[in-house]
Amino acid sequence: MKRGWIVASIAFLALFCVTVWESTSYALLDELGPGPGFFPLWLAAIGAVLSALLILETARGPADPPEATLVPDREATFRVLAVIVMMGVGAALLEWLGWRLTALIVTGALLPALGARSPIAIGLFVLAASFGVFHIFYYWLKVPLPIGTFGI
Amino acid sequence: METLDHLMAGLAAALTLQNLAFALAGCIFGTLVGVLPGVGPSAGTAILIPITFNLDPAGAIIMLSAIYYGAMYGGTITSVLLNVPGEAASVITCIEGYQMARKGRGGAALGIAAIGSFIGGTVAVLALVVVAAPLAALALKFGPPEFFALMLFGLCLVTGLAGRSLIAGILMTVGGLLISLIGIDPTRGVPRFTWGMPELYDGLGFIPVVMGLFGIGEILSTAEKPYREIVRTNLRDVMPSKEEWKASVGAIWRGTGIGFFLGLIPGVGAIIPTFMSYILEKRISKHPEKFGTGLIEGVAGPETANNSYANAAMVPLLTLGIPSSPTIAVLMGAFIVNGLTPGPFLFTEKPILVWTIIASFFIGNVILLILNLPLVGLWAKILEIPYQYICVGTVLFCMIGAYSINSSVFDIWVMLGFGVVGYLLRKLDFPLAPAVLGLILGPPLEKSLRTSLEMSAGDFSIFLSRPITIVLLVLSVGVLVVSALNPAPAQLREASDD
Repeated sequence: MKRGWIVASIAFLALFCVTVWESTSYALLDELGPGPGFFPLWLAAIGAVLSALLILETARGPADPPEATLVPDREATFRVLAVIVMMGVGAALLEWLGWRLTALIVTGALLPALGARSPIAIGLFVLAASFGVFHIFYYWLKVPLPIGTFGI
Repeated sequence: METLDHLMAGLAAALTLQNLAFALAGCIFGTLVGVLPGVGPSAGTAILIPITFNLDPAGAIIMLSAIYYGAMYGGTITSVLLNVPGEAASVITCIEGYQMARKGRGGAALGIAAIGSFIGGTVAVLALVVVAAPLAALALKFGPPEFFALMLFGLCLVTGLAGRSLIAGILMTVGGLLISLIGIDPTRGVPRFTWGMPELYDGLGFIPVVMGLFGIGEILSTAEKPYREIVRTNLRDVMPSKEEWKASVGAIWRGTGIGFFLGLIPGVGAIIPTFMSYILEKRISKHPEKFGTGLIEGVAGPETANNSYANAAMVPLLTLGIPSSPTIAVLMGAFIVNGLTPGPFLFTEKPILVWTIIASFFIGNVILLILNLPLVGLWAKILEIPYQYICVGTVLFCMIGAYSINSSVFDIWVMLGFGVVGYLLRKLDFPLAPAVLGLILGPPLEKSLRTSLEMSAGDFSIFLSRPITIVLLVLSVGVLVVSALNPAPAQLREASDD
C-alpha cells in the first residue's frame, strides 16, 4: 500500500507539473480580468505542492505489514485483464462491425473467460446481449447504436 | 399559496400515465441497480441516462430521480442478505440487518427498511415543498462571490469527510476540478488542454468519466473478488412483530429528522446521516451492549435517514444548483444533458417542470413501498444470478451508455481509461467522491471566481467584504482544520465514495 501511494503521488506530481507548464501557455490575465490560464495554473500549482507533501507524508508513515499486497492472485488478475481487454476490443470493433457483432464477440469471449461454463446459458445470453439489446435500444428506445460495414 | 398551486399542477402532471410509467420504470431500474453487486447508484444512474434521451425533460428527470432513490433502497437488500452494501449508504445496515437475517428475521429487516424509507422519503419531500421555494428566492440574491464560497464549502465538506488522508482528498478534488477545465474556455473561447484533439473541444464527458470511475472501477473490483455467500432467511414474513414495531417507531422519526437536515447541507454525502442515526440509536438505547446482535432499530433508523437524506439532498440541487454527493452530481449532469440548469432560476423559468419533478418524488416513494414489500423475495432471487452474467451485462450497458451520448467511440475509451484509474485508486484507498464533485463543480466554480474578480477588478478582498462569503469561507477552513485534527472513522471513510 505504501509503495502504491508513493507511486501514485509521483504520478500525480508529474501530471500536475505538466499541467502547470501547459497553463503558462494561456493568458493569466487579460483586459477583462483573470484569463483562461488563471484558474488551471493555481489549481495545478496547489496539486503539485500537495502531491509532494503526500509523498513526504507517505514516506514518513509506518511501513506496511508484511502480508499486505495490492496485487491480486493469478486467476483474479486474468479476470480483471479479460474485462479490460474485451472492452478495448469492443471499442475498437464497434464502429466497424456494429453493435450486434461486437457484442456477440465481447460477450462470447468474456463470459467463458470469467468462468461461465454452461454453453446453453452462454449462447442465450450472447444472443440477448447482441440482437436483443440492439432491438430494444435501437428500435424501441431510439438510442443510435452503430450498424457496421456488413449492414448488421 | 402560489407554491401550493404549483405543487397541485405538478402533481397532476406527475400523475399522467406516461410519467407514472417513467417513475415505475425508474424505481424498478433503481432497485435493480442497488441490488446488483458491482453497480452503485452513481454508475447506475449514469449508465441509464441514455435510455432517457428520447423522453421529454420532465419524464427523463422523473425516471432518473426514481433510479436514484430506488437504488438507495435496493442497496439494503444486499446489506441484509449478503452483508455487502449494494450502495455506500447501506454500509451501516449490514451491522444489524445481516445479524437479523442470520436469526431468520431478514424479511422483517427488509420490511422495516421499506416502511422507514417510505416515511422518511415522504416527510422529506413534504419538507422540501416547504423550504424549496423560499430557499430558491434567497439564492436569487446570491452573487458570484457567494456562489463561489458556497461551492467551495461543499467541496471542503466532501473532501474533509473522505479518505484516510486529507491531503489525498484535496488532491482528488483538485484533480477533478482540473479535468473539468479540459475543452474550450467558456468565457474567452480559448481551447485548453486539448492538444489539438477535436474530441476534447467539448471537454471530457462527465458521464463517461463517472461511469469509468464508479461503474468500470467497481466491475473490475468485483471481477477480482467475485464470490459471495447469500444467507438463507425467512423473507415471507416482511411485517415486523409488535415488539419490533415498538422499537422502530422512534428510530424512524429520528432518522427522518437527521436525514432531512443533513440533506440540506451541500457536500455531506449519504453516509453521514446513516452513521449519525445509528450512533444516536445506540446512545439513547437502554441496552446499547446488544447493538451488533441484530436490533431492528439499528436498521430502521439508518434506512429511514438514508431515504430522507436522498429526497432532502434534492433541495441544494434544485435551489442552489449544488450537488451533495456523486450520485446527485450525476443527476445534475442529467439535468444539463436534458437542457435544464438546476438552480434558483429553474423555479422561476420552469416552475411546472420543477414541481412535477418534486411531486413525482411522492409518487416514487409510494411505488417503492408497493414494489418492495411484496416483491422482496423476487429481488433477493436476483442475487442468485451468477456474477459473470451481471458483470458482462453491466459492461455492455456501460458501453452503450458511453457511446450513445455523442455516438462516439472516443467516449468508450475515456470510460475505459478512467475505469482503470478508478480501479487502481480504489485499491489504493484514494477517495473518488471529491474528484467527481470537483468534476461537476469545476466550470461553475471557475466562472463564479473569474466573474467575482472581474467585478472587483482583480481584488480578492471581494470575498472578505460580504457577510455570507465570510461565513462560508470560515466554515470551509473550519471543516478542513477539523478534518485534519480528527480524521473520519475508518468505516465512514471506506463508505464515503457513493
